[in-house]
Amino acid sequence: MEQVVAPQKDGKDTESPMKDKLFDPSIDMLVNDFDDERTLEEEEALAAGEFQDPDAELSSLQKESNMPLEELLALYGYRGENQENESPEEEKEEEEPQQHSPEMSEPIEEQESEPSPPEEPSKLSALYEPMPETDQDESRLLRSVSRVSEEEEEDYDYSPDEEDWRKVNKTIMVGSDYQAQIPEGLCHYDDALPYENEDKLLWDPSVMLCSEVEDFLKKASAITKPPIPTGTQLRDDEQALYLLQQCGHNVEEALRRLRMTVPANPSETMNESLWSEEECRNFESGVRCYGKNFHKIQQDKVRTRSVGELVQFYYLWKKSERHDIFANKARLEKKKYALHPGLTDFMDRFLEDQDSRDRSSSPNVPCGGNGKPPPDT
Amino acid sequence: MSKHKVSYFFNPDVGNFHYGTGHPMKPHRLSVIHSLIMNYGLHKKMQIYRPYKASAHDMCRFHSDEYIDFLQKVTPQNIQAYTKHLSHYNVGDDCPVFYGLFDFCSMYTGASLEGAMKLNNNDCDIAINWSGGLHHAKKFEASGFCYVNDIVIAILELLKHHPRVLYIDIDVHHGDGVQEAFYLTDRVMTVSFHKYGNYFFPGTGDMYEIGAESGRYYSVNVPLKEGIDDASYWQVFKPVISAVMEFYQPTAIVLQCGADSLAMDRLGCFSLSTKGHGECVKFVKSLNVPTLVVGGGGYTLRNVARCWTYETSLLVDEQISNELPFTEYLEFFAPDFTLHPEVVTRQENANSKHYLEAITKFTFDNLKMCQHSPSVQMHDVPGPALTEDEKMKEEDDPDVRISQDLEDKMVEAKNEFYDGDKDNDKEDVKT
Repeated sequence: MEQVVAPQKDGKDTESPMKDKLFDPSIDMLVNDFDDERTLEEEEALAAGEFQDPDAELSSLQKESNMPLEELLALYGYRGENQENESPEEEKEEEEPQQHSPEMSEPIEEQESEPSPPEEPSKLSALYEPMPETDQDESRLLRSVSRVSEEEEEDYDYSPDEEDWRKVNKTIMVGSDYQAQIPEGLCHYDDALPYENEDKLLWDPSVMLCSEVEDFLKKASAITKPPIPTGTQLRDDEQALYLLQQCGHNVEEALRRLRMTVPANPSETMNESLWSEEECRNFESGVRCYGKNFHKIQQDKVRTRSVGELVQFYYLWKKSERHDIFANKARLEKKKYALHPGLTDFMDRFLEDQDSRDRSSSPNVPCGGNGKPPPDT
Repeated sequence: MSKHKVSYFFNPDVGNFHYGTGHPMKPHRLSVIHSLIMNYGLHKKMQIYRPYKASAHDMCRFHSDEYIDFLQKVTPQNIQAYTKHLSHYNVGDDCPVFYGLFDFCSMYTGASLEGAMKLNNNDCDIAINWSGGLHHAKKFEASGFCYVNDIVIAILELLKHHPRVLYIDIDVHHGDGVQEAFYLTDRVMTVSFHKYGNYFFPGTGDMYEIGAESGRYYSVNVPLKEGIDDASYWQVFKPVISAVMEFYQPTAIVLQCGADSLAMDRLGCFSLSTKGHGECVKFVKSLNVPTLVVGGGGYTLRNVARCWTYETSLLVDEQISNELPFTEYLEFFAPDFTLHPEVVTRQENANSKHYLEAITKFTFDNLKMCQHSPSVQMHDVPGPALTEDEKMKEEDDPDVRISQDLEDKMVEAKNEFYDGDKDNDKEDVKT
């Protein structure tokens, strides 16, 4: 196995595209341009870092005041999108030697010495070898994450560790450990596909006219009365269509069988049977205890459902009124714990301090005891 | 009027996995998409398959036995026993061990594999598997939320039948796993459009990565900068893919539709709209080559769902309303509840016209080398390349559908041709 740097034209080294003078000026320029861009982002990130460090910000402002006019112009005029700026890279490195640029690649344990980011990467990251992760990058990353909409707010604690090992993966590797083995020559399948018996054709549109199918679906929905209002759109009913196919596309026969099967599984079409109030409450209590560890919730709280069902339920639940009440309650609790600095994972704390395994203390949600599944609106 | 025969592969359980708290990859997006597809009435326009689940054996067509064996055995409960393996296979942080991991892999991989088989068998012209497209996985390790590389496995299946397979990747991240797997061969051309630079994951995908040995010039990379909008993207996508078609003349295409190239993606940094993203899909469809369409990245759930639903509608030639139908997931689409919300851009488009022109030209120059490169006998073989029918097709207006008749002929012609040339192709492979 050989570690090969991606081959370039004329065997140049990838790491130094800037020095590659063999290319025509436009490419060259483009690459330089490219590098500029990187610097810019670093600076932006640095600016974000300074936000936490007023001294650094001050010093950079001072530096700017001493900067030659051309440089300032280049910084502010040349790139409109650039906000809080920094001096060019060399100066930055002099000023803050600890914040070296990512090009310097020896691993250093400097992450510890630097102000740690508000959100810790997961503990599993300890398994990785120390990476030359610079603080700039991290703060840039976090900042970009913080810009996400409220919907993803719950995932605030994720800071992609992708960047941790980007160095490792920077080259395309060549060798039998990396490439796929290409089948030799071409062949034809015999009459049967190798796995044919294991897949299942549920619907084939070519047999019936579309209008006939729609007509069938209308009649079918009159029978099944799907729990979701169909509105103006005619919803495809997977089960009904499959049944129609099973009946050899005989509409009458399919409808007849549909009528027979309806009472047996009224909500099957939603692919979700109704949850009892108790299940809902246990689920919520589980979320309190274990966050989104659905396997644990299943083990300890909602044994009547599969892990898959819990995941599905979670996504319906999180947009329900029920969830809003749950979240409000949780927010109140969070305030109480604001006095405990250094603790970042609210859910865990919630768990620790409150004996949440105690059923009586858990759901407490005045949800009116309705046994309905979460509202879908 | 002739339509492409579209097959859709969906396992209803594939959405019910969870990568863990705070992880941006949310398999449940697949359930949301499926729900939208049903409620838009697109389901009845396609052949619907409940796909086969890939076995460990299928996965080992690309991956190493030890790695797949590990994936099969490791669970959140016994993870302690595998500490050494975790770092070795790069499993842990980005690629966590979650409950049902192997099941998840065999579902999405099985769907892609089966799609490839249906294409090979001429059962359909377009196969869709939104759960697939995990393009970062490597032979020996997981990477970037991907464990098993369903694309590589599907392409290996297509290669049984097709002399040249084109892989197109419009995920915001470089399609490194697929590129690496086929880096040395001219039987697969990989073309990836992605954000590159500033150590954006995975760090590869420079334009100078062009392939090696027999595969030299058969890896095409189009590195882009952040904030690219619909118009700029189209400015590179169309000419590059057109040139690729001209020079490479693939007989099958795999299109990875990673939706993290959309504006407002949680991890991405491009500014594409669902329409702009869909244009690429529309264009590839208009090439009239058997195509496997897979998903990929996409971390703002509601936008991924919008995007792939819209693209499904494009693939089946069905107009769907901008107003979203009522579904159990409707709340996810607040406040506009539309299919094409207005694009809010976070970033300026950092791709100048000049830059895009330069990068396109660079790509053209390399593609031309495909023809002249001595290592490539593929094109010496007088062409599986252009049959009479394909020529006619190419001159046609891509917006006008070709007749069923013509399409049938195309498909047949392709097979007949390769029957005769089988031996030549074998030689190619050996060199």
